[in-house]
Amino acid sequence: MINTLLTAAAERILNKILSLEPSLLASLGKIQHQVLAVEIRDWQQTFAITFTGHSFMLFNNYQEHVDCHISASIETLSQLKDPSQLTRLIRQGELDLEGNLHLAQAYSQIFSELDIDWAEHLSTYFGDAAAQLLVQQLRNTKQRTVHLDDVLKTTTIGLFQDELKVTIHPIEMAQFKAHTRELKQHTAVLEQRINQLLAR
Amino acid sequence: MKESQQNTTDFGYKTVAREEKASMVADVFHSVAAKYDIMNDLMSFGIHRLWKRQAIACSGVRKGHTVLDLAGGTGDLTAKFSQLVGDTGRVILGDINDSMLKVGRDKLRDLGLVSNIEYVQMNAEALPFPDNSIDVITIAFGLRNVTDKNAALKSMYRILKPGGRLLILEFSKTDSEALSKIYDFYSFNLLPTMGKLVANDSESYRYLAESIRMHPDQETLKGMMEDAGFEQTSYQNMTGGIVALHRGFKY
Repeated sequence: MINTLLTAAAERILNKILSLEPSLLASLGKIQHQVLAVEIRDWQQTFAITFTGHSFMLFNNYQEHVDCHISASIETLSQLKDPSQLTRLIRQGELDLEGNLHLAQAYSQIFSELDIDWAEHLSTYFGDAAAQLLVQQLRNTKQRTVHLDDVLKTTTIGLFQDELKVTIHPIEMAQFKAHTRELKQHTAVLEQRINQLLAR
Repeated sequence: MKESQQNTTDFGYKTVAREEKASMVADVFHSVAAKYDIMNDLMSFGIHRLWKRQAIACSGVRKGHTVLDLAGGTGDLTAKFSQLVGDTGRVILGDINDSMLKVGRDKLRDLGLVSNIEYVQMNAEALPFPDNSIDVITIAFGLRNVTDKNAALKSMYRILKPGGRLLILEFSKTDSEALSKIYDFYSFNLLPTMGKLVANDSESYRYLAESIRMHPDQETLKGMMEDAGFEQTSYQNMTGGIVALHRGFKY
């Protein structure tokens, strides 16, 4: 039931996106009433999506006949934002596809070209200037976050690499062990001589 | 003993003459029609929408299909099916109660769904369609109100096309004792009170609770479907068995 609830929520989001970007309707018209099933291997769940001409319908645990069936991991699916990756992922065996390849490409294309004019939609609530300013601020924040994320990743990688430099190398460890053994032997010889001297 | 051999039948916990049940059920639904949707949301905490989603996912309805949404009430399933079948298909919203049909028709027209939906007042025991004419039949929360369920199932089987399927979404029996106790308390104490407060009608909602308890359990209903001729019958429990979705095919 939780999955059904989440699917219903996702369907509402998709239909909200559709209402914000009506230009999608033209592209979706070509794939109207065709069903695309996406199996997410990590979750062992299959979702199906279809466009009815008015809205999207999204189903979980869909076991009916579909026009195209895709099976991949979440990470692989995220690469489908770029439609040209589809054939490469199939060749590499990271993605299984059965049925109409054009349907998968069409969905990939539609979502990759998504460009909602947020300022236009928000202007009805806040006015033109405030909406433009808000959207600009959000874009700047997003850019800063991406930059910060890059810096953080670079720093973390650098720290791990520096850590490698101060760690004892296996050859150094072997040399240290050899020296220790040599020292132990010398100490034993010395102890033996002292004992001989004392015994006289 | 088969229902068809009896002169009486159940109406909730009461036993009434068979010919009286349809009009008594009709009175219940005339009474609740106006507040039906809001009461459904309140009573089920909105979960009825998820149960219906699951039914649609299992329906296999595609473009061009003819779908009968029997006891369709205010048209929740019809609204979705209308979009799925497209302009080349059609959906028939059937209900024995004209008050429910009127509420459903107004609601669907307000949603802009007009081109492929027909509204037919009909009795599930004698469906007014030719043999082998319907691709998918759904009956959601309606079968328990039918006087002769076996006759209704046979009638549905008759009008289904070979390869067609029947989906029955209905309240059923839960296996969990704890859930059963909570559910009983809710059904017989809170539900009639909510009905009184919202729809000013506690008796109709008492009938609802009683009729659910009198409805056949999962296995019995599955057997009844098989007796009517359905094949590959199966069911899936939802919300701990409070509701079950039965499915059967005609070949």
